[in-house]
Amino acid sequence: MTAQLGSDVEGRTLASGRVKEAFLAYGFLLPSALVFAAFFFYPLGRLVWFSLNRQDRFGRGLTYEGFGQWGDVLSSTDFLDGLKHTLLFVLYTVPLGLVLGVLLAVAANRKIRGIKFFHTVFSSTIATSVAVASVVFVVLINPKVGYLADTWVAQFFDLSDPDAALRGVALSSVWQNLGLTFIIVLAGLQAVPEELMEAAKLDGYNSVQRFFRITLPLISPTLMFLVVVLVVFGFQAFAQVELLTNGTPAGRTETLVFKIFTDSQDPAKLGPSSVMALGLFVLTVVVSAFQFIILSRRVHYGN
Amino acid sequence: MSSITFRGVTKRYGDVTAVSDLDLEIADNEFMVLLGPSGCGKTTALRMIAGLESITEGELSIGDRVVNNVEPQNRDIAMVFQSYALYPHMTVRRNIESPLRADRSKRLSKGDRDARVAEAAGILGLEDYLDRKPAALSGGQRQRVALGRAIVRRPQAFLMDEPLSNLDAKLRTQTRAELVQLHTDLATTFVYVTHDQVEAMTMATRVAIMNDGRLQQAGTPREVYEDPANLFVARFIGSPPMNTIDGQVVVAQDGTTGVVAGDQLIPSTNAPAGSAGRKVVAGIRPEHLVPHPDGTITGKVTGTEWLGHERQLLSHVPIGDSNSVQVISRADPDGDDPRPGEQMRFAVDPDRVHLFDADSGARMRRTDS
Repeated sequence: MTAQLGSDVEGRTLASGRVKEAFLAYGFLLPSALVFAAFFFYPLGRLVWFSLNRQDRFGRGLTYEGFGQWGDVLSSTDFLDGLKHTLLFVLYTVPLGLVLGVLLAVAANRKIRGIKFFHTVFSSTIATSVAVASVVFVVLINPKVGYLADTWVAQFFDLSDPDAALRGVALSSVWQNLGLTFIIVLAGLQAVPEELMEAAKLDGYNSVQRFFRITLPLISPTLMFLVVVLVVFGFQAFAQVELLTNGTPAGRTETLVFKIFTDSQDPAKLGPSSVMALGLFVLTVVVSAFQFIILSRRVHYGN
Repeated sequence: MSSITFRGVTKRYGDVTAVSDLDLEIADNEFMVLLGPSGCGKTTALRMIAGLESITEGELSIGDRVVNNVEPQNRDIAMVFQSYALYPHMTVRRNIESPLRADRSKRLSKGDRDARVAEAAGILGLEDYLDRKPAALSGGQRQRVALGRAIVRRPQAFLMDEPLSNLDAKLRTQTRAELVQLHTDLATTFVYVTHDQVEAMTMATRVAIMNDGRLQQAGTPREVYEDPANLFVARFIGSPPMNTIDGQVVVAQDGTTGVVAGDQLIPSTNAPAGSAGRKVVAGIRPEHLVPHPDGTITGKVTGTEWLGHERQLLSHVPIGDSNSVQVISRADPDGDDPRPGEQMRFAVDPDRVHLFDADSGARMRRTDS
């Protein structure tokens, strides 16, 4: 009898406690939910709405166009060119940035006197604004007045050559992102236990084998993370394009974000540029989903 | 199977000397335990054998070969790390097989490798776990995988750096016995580093006790316990530790010798001739300090610990100038505990009261004429 009574009372307190807890949880969630609503969900909704409508060039008279506008815009050369430039940009920046970052981090991951100095130098671009970095870069590779003028480097990355300009912008971005890549890879390398490397040494692996068979698999989660981050950075490339080439020559450096931004300045193109923005959004979501799948399925080595 | 010899080996890191002028011969097929408190240089000594630390001075040989400048992988030794250092991305099978796969030029055939892995897994009872990753194993199983990776190489010597320290107490006791069995079965030299004297005493054929980078004594577990070379060894080996009492050597008119500390007289037959008046430390193992009505040492009981098979008495023994020293005595577990504060007399076996020089800590021995 007493036991029954006890459990009954306990059940009631549990239930009321749960309600209280739920209120508390929603209370805690409310501020961030509001921020998200104001700065993400509402703009996203507006974007979708704009993408289904068209204005005249004075920004008057929103007329409904419907989903047909999506098809039109997404199959237009405007969008496809932008997409092509963006994908090329990603292709130029991600592998090169990753390889350089890993090389620098491996080189700097040793215990020698003064190594902190190199850590600082190698990671310095993380603290450099895009504007400054772009100016420095122009000074470096300008084919007429740059430090590397009259060399194949200046020609290969010539920002005024339609065939080379995108490479030039990409190289600048690689350099700008190198600090971040370096720091993250270095942190990954330093998380590999020393004893593992010693065991591998005793097992008879030479330094190259140690890197490819032990180190690389162990830092693969870090690299996977970086791939996603760098791809998203690539998708979002804007400032360096505007500063270095402003989309020239011949529109060959017009990445998607750049196109979306410039088009959106023209009221008549608000609808189409909204469609492009949505397209880019979907693309980014797909890449992020890919990251989640990979990260949750692979590479959990922790004990 | 191979001997390992240190000849005047020193290891310095800048101004810090980790190992100082080490002379030690580890015989073929020996189970040598390097024992000492943390920072004593035992791990550095082991890592020098492995080739993971360079040698500043002196000469290290494995078998007849001086290996100072031989790369770790060419020393034909295997090492078990404290953390086990298993490759987390490889299965147990791949982990064990790893040393057989590393060097392409010396690689065995697939069949031979599989046979070796199967043999090692059989010895260690790992057959059912070969396709798992280390993260899916318990601590004890991981430890076995680390051993397996050492066994497949059939090395000249096994080096082990505190391999049991991450296991729980019960498993540690069990694994101790298994390691001894493994040593017998493999008939290979083992060099084993630990700070745990129980591991050293139970497994070693010989123990090398180190402190401050210096070898203090090397001998069988029995030798270091019964015949410690100095005060450090005497205090380090034994649990509960040896009682030490500061005093002076006295010689009675009938020629019997002993140590006087305040009003206490501790008979000892170990005083060297002509040492009367010298400041010494008398060392008495708790089992040799027994309550006895005719004992010459008096103390006040401060506490008792009844352990079932024995009773440990803690007492304060006054040694003059209002100083006293705490001593532990191992006594019969039968009967009632003495009351705290009770005065008690203790007797010693004069042959087993060790004397150490008060300044150097060196052992003093009877000079038989």
